[in-house]
Amino acid sequence: MNGWIGTTLRVDLTRGTIKREPTNMKVAHDYIGARGMGVKIISDEVDPSVDALGPDNKLVFAPGPFTGTFAPSAGRYNVITKSPLNGTIAGSNSGGVFGPELKFAGYDALIIEGQAKKPVYLWIKNDVVEIRDASAIWGMTVADTTEALREQTDPDAKVACIGPAGENLSLIASIMNEMHRAAGRTGVGAVMGSKKLKAIAVIGTGEITVADPDAFKAAVMDARGKIQANPVGGAGLKAYGTDVLVNILNQSGALPVNNWQDAYSPAADKIGGESLAANQLVRPKGCFACIISCGRATKVTNPLYAGVGEGPEYESAWAFGVDSGIDNLDAVIKANYLCNEYGIDTISMGSTIACAMELYELGLLTKKDTDGLDLSFGNAAVMVEMVRKTGVGEGFGKRLQEGSYRLADSVGRPDLSMTVKKQEMPAYDPRGVQGIGLNYATNNRGGCHVRGYTIAVEVLGQGAPTDPHATEGKAALDIVFQDLTSALDSSGSCLFATFGIGGAELAGMLTALTGVEYSLDEFMKIGARIWNLERLWNLKVGYTTADDTLPARLLTEPIKTGPSKGRVNHLDQMLPEYYALRGWDANGVPTPAKLADLAL
Amino acid sequence: MSKMLMIYPNKCTGCRNCELACSFEHGGSFRPGATRVHTFTWEREGFAVPLMCQQCDDAACVNVCPTGAMHHGPAGSNLVELDASLCIGCKLCVIACPFGSARYDSVTKSIAKCDTCAGAPQCVAMCPNAALEFVEDAEQTRSRKQIVADKFKTIFEDVN
Amino acid sequence: MLIKYFATFRDLTKENSLVLTDAPTNIAELLELLSVRYGAAFRAAVFENGELSSVMILLVNGRNVRITGGLATPVSPDDEVSVFPMVAGG
Repeated sequence: MNGWIGTTLRVDLTRGTIKREPTNMKVAHDYIGARGMGVKIISDEVDPSVDALGPDNKLVFAPGPFTGTFAPSAGRYNVITKSPLNGTIAGSNSGGVFGPELKFAGYDALIIEGQAKKPVYLWIKNDVVEIRDASAIWGMTVADTTEALREQTDPDAKVACIGPAGENLSLIASIMNEMHRAAGRTGVGAVMGSKKLKAIAVIGTGEITVADPDAFKAAVMDARGKIQANPVGGAGLKAYGTDVLVNILNQSGALPVNNWQDAYSPAADKIGGESLAANQLVRPKGCFACIISCGRATKVTNPLYAGVGEGPEYESAWAFGVDSGIDNLDAVIKANYLCNEYGIDTISMGSTIACAMELYELGLLTKKDTDGLDLSFGNAAVMVEMVRKTGVGEGFGKRLQEGSYRLADSVGRPDLSMTVKKQEMPAYDPRGVQGIGLNYATNNRGGCHVRGYTIAVEVLGQGAPTDPHATEGKAALDIVFQDLTSALDSSGSCLFATFGIGGAELAGMLTALTGVEYSLDEFMKIGARIWNLERLWNLKVGYTTADDTLPARLLTEPIKTGPSKGRVNHLDQMLPEYYALRGWDANGVPTPAKLADLAL
Repeated sequence: MSKMLMIYPNKCTGCRNCELACSFEHGGSFRPGATRVHTFTWEREGFAVPLMCQQCDDAACVNVCPTGAMHHGPAGSNLVELDASLCIGCKLCVIACPFGSARYDSVTKSIAKCDTCAGAPQCVAMCPNAALEFVEDAEQTRSRKQIVADKFKTIFEDVN
Repeated sequence: MLIKYFATFRDLTKENSLVLTDAPTNIAELLELLSVRYGAAFRAAVFENGELSSVMILLVNGRNVRITGGLATPVSPDDEVSVFPMVAGG
């Protein structure tokens, strides 16, 4: 067994049982690991109709074959479950060191089942696994939880945990590891909270073996060289972080402003990566095995928002920044810190506040709702306070913690929630960039940019020149990105490795590591298999082609100012072609021939 | 010509590629217990630093070794070397090293200590941030001086 | 014409923006003018064997010149030009 460990850990919190079982190697070969393996496990073992926050939902933590090796920037793990936010087979992907540690402890996957009666945490030291009482740490923030568990277990333990938001079953709660790294999206933190599982602490000292060490090293060095030679992977992300995107999206007329009422802000530069590098950056940070170092160790000295921590990423800076009408980067960073402390997804949090601001300005929410606070666009201090209220579940925070869809729906304006399938869309306006709109509309976990990042081609100049305003060719482009990312996520690689390498290099490293032959075609086919399996789940949950859409604002309300003034998204010109190229019928259902081709 | 490993904590991002490279070089696999370099990370403060054998001139590990397995290199070398054939596994070097850089690996039943990969340290080769360098002893402080010199240049260029 | 610089181009030019009073008619003329103004390092960052540098992104009123005609893309005094190195994130 090479690359994979061959063992899966299954913990039933209802019964208090712990089982070590052989990893299904047929599934491992056909789905690689991480996201793919998790999707297969949830599909096989969980009824799509279960209550996502009930005992019958399961929560899978899975590293990939690359995780724990020196495949460049490939130390990631995925959390896969039924989303409480929108019911999709969802999940989220995180870096840091937790994934590699779980692998060194000897596991390809950890499956959490059932529901504990009182708060517990899981302590894993190689093959010694214990369910322990967590009453004393329930209620603690992420950093305090992490440190408390290291005192109770091992000073070097790696800790994935929820904060108060996950305990309160916030539908936008994240799972955090190493304090600052987040499996942020789709409300995975609430599933952990519903199981009364506060944290997982792990120490691993085991071995990951390599099928062909010489070939693996050669393939890794080739991939490293390509990433380091790429201006983005090699130097750009390290110098400015992902927040460097603020200015290029703004100058392209695709930076959503004030809950997507516009797509250009004259003040954007104040929250961009250049400003961050000049003012708050302490040093770049890297996840396990990372050669890119996009992470930002930052410090805010402004007494109103003082603190030390990590972030923000571009999407976080956008959500708490211009989408909320705010150009104060200190406040933005403080909001980001609070999300990391309370365990909340920054994208959904900032977007939900932006939505609430629009509802407030329309008079649909008043100070009676907002605990007496002025929730107008641009009010930075109130924005930060709203994050805190959401984190601890206090006052108006109890409504914000449900996400923007439920909030807007409660006042009769669900159209003002800038979501797809109830999940907030990130920082790229589909009116200015057509292909990303198709990706949002078809994404299996709802509004999501990473699983189909066409921005790399449409805006950032990677690959052949492509017009962001064109709809032609975008269906095919989306599918390539969606399938590549599905397979890449399953390998344990970071998406940013693609700023330098592609499926061929990933498949080559995977072959040398595992000894199982993966061609580029097979790698992409696995991606399509995972995408279609996720789609089948969503259809069983009740999603239809009517849900493969964008908020009406993006289809009918033209951008008001800036370079994309007057534009809307033309989803109707792309969606039928997307279904056809996917091998789906007009109702968005995979055809029997397609399923047979993918061995589903 | 003698070379030495220099550590630049201000450049370290905490990625641990050095540990992976070390483990792979010494065993062809990835195993935390096999690595001779360890990165310590302070997550709250966002700080990290790699630590390994300092190749001491007055080396506690050499002084306590009862068999001569741990010994200084030949004249002209400034390395502390381990002759595994003489090692009896008594672990006195592990106890004596003030840096914790001689470790006993219970899997291979041997002492794991930096051997500079026979003069081509893989931790240095695989560090993506130049936080580790293997430099001639005459050049050991050159890059630090260069940073200071660059600052002087900037300051005085602006003045002129 | 308003020229805006971002990321490493701010280090290269030592400014964030420039109001250009000359009236170049296309991108080639504009980059030549700017190269004279900022010197060899700037020239090396924007040209690659006489063509547009492959590691730069140049927007004229938000449109990437790579899809509007490259160096021949026309410019006029009312235009806003944004100069980026290759950047990314996600």
